[in-house]
Amino acid sequence: MGIEFQHVVKRFENGTEALSDVSVTIPPGSLTFLTGHSGAGKSTFLNLVLRADRPTRGKVLVNGVDIAGLKRRHLPVYRRHLGAVFQDGQLLDGRSIFHNVALPLHVAGMRARDVGRRVRAALESVDLLRKAELLPGQLSAGERQRVVIARAVVNRPKILLADEPTGNLDPTLSRSIMALFRRFHDVGVTVVVASHDTELVGTMGSRVVELDHGRVVSQGRANGDG
Amino acid sequence: MARTRVWQAQARPWRAYWRDHGRVLRDTLGYLSGRFVTTLWVWLTIGVALAVPAAIYLLEANLVRAAGQWRENTGFSVYFEAGVELEGPQALVRRLEAMDGIERVWLTTPDAALAEFRELSGVSDALELLDNNPLPASVRATVTSAVSPAGLAILAEQAAGTDGVEDVVVERSWLERLGALREIVIRLYWSLTAILGLGAVLISGATVRLAIEARLGEVKVLTLVGAGRGYVRRPFLYLGAAYGLGGAVIAAMAISALLLFLEEPLVRLFGSYGRDLEITGFDPIFHAMLLASGGALGVVGAVVASSQRLNRLNVA
Ligand SMILES: Nc1ncnc2c1ncn2[C@@H]1O[C@H](COP(=O)(O)OP(=O)(O)O)[C@@H](O)[C@H]1O
Ligand SMILES: [Mg+2]
Repeated sequence: MGIEFQHVVKRFENGTEALSDVSVTIPPGSLTFLTGHSGAGKSTFLNLVLRADRPTRGKVLVNGVDIAGLKRRHLPVYRRHLGAVFQDGQLLDGRSIFHNVALPLHVAGMRARDVGRRVRAALESVDLLRKAELLPGQLSAGERQRVVIARAVVNRPKILLADEPTGNLDPTLSRSIMALFRRFHDVGVTVVVASHDTELVGTMGSRVVELDHGRVVSQGRANGDG
Repeated sequence: MARTRVWQAQARPWRAYWRDHGRVLRDTLGYLSGRFVTTLWVWLTIGVALAVPAAIYLLEANLVRAAGQWRENTGFSVYFEAGVELEGPQALVRRLEAMDGIERVWLTTPDAALAEFRELSGVSDALELLDNNPLPASVRATVTSAVSPAGLAILAEQAAGTDGVEDVVVERSWLERLGALREIVIRLYWSLTAILGLGAVLISGATVRLAIEARLGEVKVLTLVGAGRGYVRRPFLYLGAAYGLGGAVIAAMAISALLLFLEEPLVRLFGSYGRDLEITGFDPIFHAMLLASGGALGVVGAVVASSQRLNRLNVA
């Protein structure tokens, strides 16, 4: 599924205009990096795709459909088609890694048998299957972030959104996390990664949308393939 | 249009729904026992809020019963002039017996009255000295429970119209007072139920709100991975129900203790009217109602608190 922003304006109640007339096309199956300084509007952009927020003006189309028209009761099902990775963990501390990754499937009401299979596959894809029974507190920061990614992809989403997924990781770990996103992109998932780390993004060689103070300043391909 | 339908297609199967309830129940019990002091505190507070109206409800129910019992003695006595022939009182007895609303009628002849007086007073010797029996004949009637105080007055007035009647005494003032007392108790019951019921809702709501606050991270994660409002809210509704039900159990225990404490004076109160102590209304239905109201109030509090909080969080 592709994402399209048409002249999107997002103004918060306090008057802050986080996005000003943003028009961006993210083709289905692409790997896109959203960059810009802190406060440029990256998180706001992703929240609009998640429909955690609504645009003040303009349209957000996902798979060609204006998601402003989604009824509230359809939102959960819509969100099950998306995978989201956000900056600081948000793993449930009291639950095992297995349970954390299984959460989107439980929420969707999947049978226990299928849940086990899917969770194992997702943990395998981030190379953490052997830690399934541990608690989040027993993992390193990089491992925890990989668990969050496993949770985001366990539902086999068409779109994977990540907000500063490498926020507090060292460069080596950051690169391995980014490599993971590329793997999901390789199997056909539309991946959008927001990161203020322009240097890291530059090495990835993919589509880059650069925001500055809520405006798109460049949109195109960085060096390399994509 | 065709494409939106894809997002609407997958509904949660029913079996998953029930499995979920089982899981939430276990989680809730774990949550409550993990914070036992808080839980007990909330139970006691809601218990007090429920016990007061419940106790007044019992008071009212028993007042009604007492009214029913004592009503058997409700009626009037017609006193004839001394020396009147017995035909007059006997005719009155027949007339009264034919009337609607009259339950029983007794004729007390002057001789019977004298015998009774002797027995009660023990001053037989003094009366022996009198030539004539100075006591009048009297007719006493009791009315059925269908007769209102006003109806009782009308019946007594009709009886007073008989020849040779000296005086009619209506035993009703206590009945009117009881009626007024009952009215006060009923109004007290409703107003306290409203105030304390609201109190129970607020306590449950405030505590549930704290629980939501404590699990905000979890709520956000659940929303993010596509949980609907029902799923996100379920544990909090269970929590509200558990607070309310626990409060109801405390209230039932408090009322049992209260009845034990009041047993002795109650025996005297009812015993003086020749009845064994038996509290009306303290039965399984009462307990079921108490539990149901407690649970309902707790859930209402949780619904209010969670709707408010989850709306602000944009939970779908
Ligand atoms: N809920 C909000 N209310 C008001 N202002 C907000 C809110 N969220 C973000 N902003 C503001 O919008 C701008 C863009 O924020 P954000 O999208 O988080 O930027 P980024 O993710 O690129 O750092 C910032 O100025 C931020 O302060
Ligand atoms: Mg941000």
